[in-house]
Amino acid sequence: MMTGNDETKFEQWLQDAAKTYHAPRPTPRDEMWARIEARRVRRVRPWMRWSLAAAAVLVLGIGIGRWTAHQEAAGPKTPTVATGSGNSDLVYQVAATQYLSRTETFLTGFRSDLRAGRVDTRFMGQARDLLTTTRLLLDSPAANDPRMRALLEDLELVLAQISQLEAGRDRRNADLITQDMDQRSVLPKLRSAIPAGPVPVRTEGAI
Amino acid sequence: MDERDLINRVRAGDGIAERALYDAHVDRVYRLAYRLAGDDALAQDFTQETFIRAFAKLDTFRGDSALSTWLHTITTTVVLNGLRKVKRFHQREADLEAADGVSGGPREAEPDLKARLRQAIDALPQGYRTVFVMHDIEGFTHEEIGVALGVETGTSKAQLSRARAKLRESLADFAGEWVS
Repeated sequence: MMTGNDETKFEQWLQDAAKTYHAPRPTPRDEMWARIEARRVRRVRPWMRWSLAAAAVLVLGIGIGRWTAHQEAAGPKTPTVATGSGNSDLVYQVAATQYLSRTETFLTGFRSDLRAGRVDTRFMGQARDLLTTTRLLLDSPAANDPRMRALLEDLELVLAQISQLEAGRDRRNADLITQDMDQRSVLPKLRSAIPAGPVPVRTEGAI
Repeated sequence: MDERDLINRVRAGDGIAERALYDAHVDRVYRLAYRLAGDDALAQDFTQETFIRAFAKLDTFRGDSALSTWLHTITTTVVLNGLRKVKRFHQREADLEAADGVSGGPREAEPDLKARLRQAIDALPQGYRTVFVMHDIEGFTHEEIGVALGVETGTSKAQLSRARAKLRESLADFAGEWVS
């Protein structure tokens, strides 16, 4: 049994030895500050982004209307990714549909390349871009719908994991990511959230 | 410039003051995030999120506590929530490694004290580990920990005591290092 003296010695030894636990490297101040500023600019000016998106939607509105009228006449309606009415909801809906479509393409390509034994650096960059959009959408009214929010949160985790892979050296983690995707049925959920047919409007860069 | 002036300037949208506030606190925030996450990419992500939230919510800071304490409250919230999100991923990784016999072997397979200490700290329950890291490694007081984690000071002390007891038990093989 330890005496009080031994206990004090242990605590002193422990405090000293534990300094090696997850010892941080020098703080990367400038790199982090640059990313903080970039993210804050995107957050503090959402009205500007959504206004631009709204303008893009309005410009293309007539074309969409005509296209949709033809589609409605031809077949049943497809589910939409967000609920609500009015122009602002339409903007979020269009932006979310665009994003989901891009993400579905990306994840399908990622899985396919992984099966072929490739873990390419371009995936990490694309995952980071999509991750930024995911977080913007999580902060937007598009995430008001609980199912959409749950899907976005799943995608945020998957994309964050992919963005942290190391090219050519991380096959095992990449496999775990795809297993995780399968377990949570991420791709089927993603596909079911995307309306069938072509994505109606191109709003690249709107969000 | 004192802290109150700095905060007022940040609230007024002064970019130079924002950077000054960041520079004054980023080291400790990043260190804490790194110690808890054990991963540079995650620590950077958590640090960035902490300052983004802090700048967004600075109007709600009433000055009841030091700004550093308020920042550390945000830091621990961001880090612990973030770690919960990735925990399942890491757990599955660890399970697979254990199934493959890659790690988690008997004690004699890992004789290095530094590695054993890391494993022992990692194995602590999250609450114990957080308090241990903040107090014994990063030098926070129990009062600061209590505010940051939203617990009583006594709870912080009790968790530290239990953390040390668990570590003493886990590191019993190395008793010669501290008992002379």
